[in-house]
This record gives sequence, C-alpha cells and structure tokens, in this order.
Amino acid sequence: MSKRVLVVDDSVFMRDIIKDIFAAGGFSVVGEAGNGVEAVEKYKELKPDLVTMDLVMPYRNGIDATREILRGDNAALVVMCSALGQETMVMEAIEAGAVDFIVKPPRAEDVLAVVKKVLGA
Amino acid sequence: MSDPNTQRYTALFISEATEHLEALSRDVVKLEQQPAVDVIASAFRHAHSVKGMAASMGFETTSALAHRLEDLLDTVRATPASFDKPLADLVLQAIDALQGHVRAVASGAPLGDVAALVARLSATMAGLGPSSVPAPRPSAPSTTPAPPAMVSTEATQPRFAVTLQVSAASTQPGVRAFLAYKRLSTLGNVFALSPPLEDLKAGRLPRGRITLELETTQTQEGVTRTISTVADVTLERLEPIALGGGGAPVAAPEPEARVVGQQDQARTVRIRTELLDGFLDVAGELLLATARVREVGKGLPDPFRPPLDEAVDRLHKLVRGLHDQVMTARMTPIDVITTRLPRAARDIARRRGRDVELIIEGATTELDRAIVDELNDPLLHLLRNAIDHGVEPPEERRMRGKPARGTVKVLVRRDRDRVVLEVVDDGRGMDSERLRASAVERGLVTLEAARAMSERDALMLSCLPGVSTAAAVTDISGRGVGMDAVKRVVEAVGGVLELESTRGQGTTCRLSLPLTVAMVNLLLVGVGDDVYGLPIAKVSGVVETRRSALPGSQDLLMLNFGQSVVPVQSLAELLDVPALPQPPDVPPFVVVDGEGGKVALLVDRLLGQEEVVLKALARPLDLVPGLAGVTILGTGRPVFILDVARLERLPRARAEA
Repeated sequence: MSKRVLVVDDSVFMRDIIKDIFAAGGFSVVGEAGNGVEAVEKYKELKPDLVTMDLVMPYRNGIDATREILRGDNAALVVMCSALGQETMVMEAIEAGAVDFIVKPPRAEDVLAVVKKVLGA
Repeated sequence: MSDPNTQRYTALFISEATEHLEALSRDVVKLEQQPAVDVIASAFRHAHSVKGMAASMGFETTSALAHRLEDLLDTVRATPASFDKPLADLVLQAIDALQGHVRAVASGAPLGDVAALVARLSATMAGLGPSSVPAPRPSAPSTTPAPPAMVSTEATQPRFAVTLQVSAASTQPGVRAFLAYKRLSTLGNVFALSPPLEDLKAGRLPRGRITLELETTQTQEGVTRTISTVADVTLERLEPIALGGGGAPVAAPEPEARVVGQQDQARTVRIRTELLDGFLDVAGELLLATARVREVGKGLPDPFRPPLDEAVDRLHKLVRGLHDQVMTARMTPIDVITTRLPRAARDIARRRGRDVELIIEGATTELDRAIVDELNDPLLHLLRNAIDHGVEPPEERRMRGKPARGTVKVLVRRDRDRVVLEVVDDGRGMDSERLRASAVERGLVTLEAARAMSERDALMLSCLPGVSTAAAVTDISGRGVGMDAVKRVVEAVGGVLELESTRGQGTTCRLSLPLTVAMVNLLLVGVGDDVYGLPIAKVSGVVETRRSALPGSQDLLMLNFGQSVVPVQSLAELLDVPALPQPPDVPPFVVVDGEGGKVALLVDRLLGQEEVVLKALARPLDLVPGLAGVTILGTGRPVFILDVARLERLPRARAEA
C-alpha cells in the first residue's frame, strides 16, 4: 500500500506542484491544508504517514502547527518546506520536532529522496 | 507558558540545572589544577545541558549566558593549556551568575542582568581564538581539533568518533548539518563538535565535513541507521573511542560513584524530599498507632487479649519493616554536599593566599537525608577552619620543611551502624595550651580544671561559644569560627564531635554520625504531672538517694557518682514547671552528659524506657531553649524530648547571675 501524505501550503500553486511530485513517486496525497489550523485538524482526521509543511502561512505558521501535531502524536513525521533565506526558521522547526526539510521550489528527485529517507523506504 | 506541566518542569529544571552547574564548578576547579581535555569536554557538556534546559524553559538570558560559556569552553578545548586562573575566575563567575538565575527561577524573582558577563565571555573567547594563542605543540593538526583518543574518567557510555559529510549539492547545507547534529543529539551526548554549532548552523562547513564525538548507549548499527535517515548526509567515519589508560591521574575519587549512578539510572526515579518526609511521617505515625492499639489491648479481658496481642505483634513487625524501608529510601550519598567542597576550598584558599589540595574519599557513603542536609554548613565551617586556620601560607610551610601545597582531606566511611566523617589537614595544629588559658581567662573553667584536663578535652574547649569567637584565639591557635555551632548541629542529629591535633602536623576533626536520625531511645521521666524524654545516649546513669544525704551547700548540691562528684539541678526548676507537691523520699537523679560535663537532674519519677519516632519541632516550639523534639507515646500522650546539651547551659547562667 502506498504511503499516505498530507500536503500543507498556503499557495494552491505550490500544493499542486508537490502533489504532482508525490503522485509521480507512487505516494498517495490524502489531503491538503492551506493554513496551520487546518493542517492540525486534517492531521487528526486523516492520520497520514507524512506531512509536508510550509513555514509561513496565515492563522498559524508551520512551526506552531508542527508543534501542535507532535503534541497529539509524537511519532508524526513532518517535513518542512522552506525557501532560501528561511534557514533560521527551519532550524526552529527542527527544534520543534520536524524530521527533515525540502527547499522550494521543490525538485522532484530531492523531495522524493528526503521523503523516502524519512519513511525508511 | 500555560502548560499544566510547567510547575513540574520548573522543579526539574531547578534540580537538574543545579546539578550540572555544580558538576561544572567541580570541573573548573580540576582544570585549574591540571588542564585536561576530558575535563574540558565534561565542563562543556554541562554548560551545553544547562543551555538546552534554559532554552526549552524559555529563560533566554540564562540560555544565552550558558551558550557563551559553552562556546568559550569549546574554544578552550583546542588549547587546554590556556585554561589559567583568570579564565577559571571568569568561568566561575559565569557559573555563579547561572546559579543565581536558577535560584531566581526557584523563588520567582527576576533573572539578573548578565549582559556585561556575556560580553566579557565573548571578549575572552575572541582573545583565545586559535590564531592568537600559540599552540602548545605546533605540529598538532589544526584541521581535526578533536583529539583522536580522549581519556575520560567519567564516560561510562560508549563513545564514538563521528565524521559526517554533507553533500555538496545540498541547497541549505547549514540546516542539513544542523538536522544531522540534532538527530545524533537524540541518541546521547554530542561534544567536540567541529565546526562549532554557530558556524555549523550558518553553513560554514569546511569541505562539507562535520566531526563530533557521540556518547551513547546505541550500538554502531543504531548510529548508522539514524544517520541513514537524514538525506544529503553520509557517515564517513564511526569508530568507538578507547577509554581509560594513559591519562594523568587527577585526584578524582568520584568516578566509581558515577559509574554506579549511571548504571542505576534506568532503575531509579526522582522523588521529592518532602514526599519521602511524608512517607516517614506516616510510617512513624503507624508505629505510634500500633503502640496505641497494644496499649488499649492491655485493658481487655483475658479471652480477647492473646489473639489481639498476636495480631498487634505481627502488625508491629510489618510496620517496623515498612519504617525501615522508608528509612532506607531516605539514605542519600553524602556527595550531595561534598560536591560543593572543591569549589569552596578553592575560593577560601585563594582569598587567604593558601595553596591547598582537597581530597575527598568515600563520598558515596550514605546517610539519612535529614542528616546530610544538616551537615552542609558544619562541613563548610570545618573546611574553612582547616584551610584558614590550619594550613599555613606557602612561605611558612616551606620554612617549616613542608610541601608548599597543603592537603585537606575529607574522609567518609561506614563504621558498623555509624558513619565517620573526618576533616584532616596537615597544617599547624591547635595550641591546646592557649585554649586552656583562654578558657580560664573567660571564666569558663577553673585553672585547676584546665590543668587537670586531658589533651583531648582541652581541644574541645574550642567548641565553647566564648572561646570560639575570640579573635585572639583565632589568630594564635586557630580553629574558632563556629565550632560551637558545628558541635551543636552534630549532636542535634545524634552525632559526636572529636578533635585530634598535633602541633605543627595538623588537625583531625572527626564526626561520628548515626545512619538515621528519626528513631531515638528515651528515658522517660516525670516532673510534676508532666512527662519528659531524655535521649538514652546522653544518660550516664541513675542514682536514687535521699536529698538530705547529698554533699554540697544549700545553693549547690552535689551528687556522688562513681568516682566523681556531679552538680545537681532540679529539672522542675530548670524548666520552670511545678514539681510534685510531695516529692518522694528517695528521689531519682538522672546523670546526663552536658556540654561542660556531667549534670545530675533531679526528677520526681522514672517512667521507663521507650524507643520513639522523633518529630522535629515546628515553630514556635523550636525556638524554646532546651527542647530537642517531640514524640507521641503509645498512650497518645505527647512528650517533649529535652536537649540535654543546651539544658545544661541554663544552670551555668544562673550560677553566674
């Protein structure tokens, strides 16, 4: 069974790119969220194997959302999506419990390499 | 933080940060004596832990200070020889400031301003930069600052040398490296990180390489697996580091304790002392309640008594067993207080211009927590005396043909059901003649008594309040500061203080302590309608005789006791309570060991002996002179336990008045 992924990003455009990469890599994207609050709700509802999480989002940023998800499920695998120049925030997210990160704009082979490592696949 | 666990976290933070800071001070004192890479590594680790804890608690200034300290220690690691006295002073100052913060957290006070200190640490660190400090061995390869074979006295977990390679294609190499570092941190303790964390986070990775050492319980496979889950990072090298051997033996008697401690870690839990006190209280109450049931049973008619007695016996045995186990749980290694001594010794020695080596042995010896807590101040007093008044200044020592560096030993050992703690110095010793003279001068003993006194008794004169505070005595014969206080505390917990001294060779101060403080054997005496308890340990004997048969004057009656004559005091008068209107014709006199000798206490009745659970006195009763504690008898009756040593001071005062 393919691994189930939740994609979180405030940009629909970015979500589409990431969804396409996952689909091509044999993963199934089971849900999407456009802000941190939604991300936490969707995570609880869907219990995905992995989450990709944007850093800067309205309502609740990616770091807080990550923290909240991990509070509910300390085994949650959250991979941050960051842009260049956001290094400090990514490190903060890692401190908060994110397991890895990918850099936007995402390149398919990078994303899949990271995700496979994280899932131990 | 609105987390409901905040309080628990705060308590944990306080206790753990305190432990780390104390261990760090200890390392600094060791380093000052002999810079060693493994000790720097240990110090670094402690600073690192404090930083992490403070950061996760949100104490930013604390974390920032600890961070600077960590960086400084990390810099020093490359050149251990640069760890000199001024640097030690600065590091200790930082530790003090951090301890101040921890105390502030504990009391809810605002955290002190440490900006200036942080700046000084930064400045010092800049001065120590690898380029400005001549390397002790120019041939040392500067690209690999981590020594290949570190010697450690306290690493009990396997340690690995790790080299990681961050892929050159990585878009954010700093974050990658940080992620790898973070991931390894979850496995154990990371140190000797190169490049330092700041550089690493900023992506300043020479040739994409990270070296570090990892202390972990994980196997080699486990570490490999962990790294394999981090993208863009490959494991270049993973080798166990050989431990032990070859290192300069630093005077560190603690590693054994540490080994035990770490092995036990998995099977121990932290418990608040108050909880243990609560257990002991309950266990004590159970003992008392059992005694009460037995008492009630005595009034029952025959057919009911034997089975009840049997049940009570069994109950008593069980409760006693429970009580013993609680007592065992309260046993605490004395290192809880001895760990502070090296730092204290260093400070005292520096202030007084002495050169002193402190050796601590047997610090794992266990004692009742209540006794350990009480001993903190006395032990510090004794250490101060040993360094300040015992050990001579280096020039004087050289003149006397002694090594310039004095030695103070704190030796702790178990001796059957007692613990013996000795503070031994190789200083100038005590002048018993001067002590005698001073005590006579102050009217504390007669000239004859002073002359007749044994050497040992004469030394004990230093524990009399008048003698101990006399500056002249302090100057000439040493010892002085607070010896009376030390003696009082030691005796309050049921211990005995002894002094031995040889002029020119040194002094030994010996504390013989009970393992536990809570059970005490009492002789119960009646005065009027009241019952009082006298600790059996303080009772020399009981004599029943007619009052009229006593020698001495009307004012001061004496009692013949063995070979000597003992002054008589009426306990009723001492306590200012009414005696029986019709005292017995042949009243009992209880001879007790007071501070200045034996005293015969006249009481109305002897009521027998009982083993009781001592309860500490609460305010305001603890302020009443002459009372040592309180207990409840099987009959439910509360009984005050008399502080014999202090009781004995009352007649002296009255005789003088």
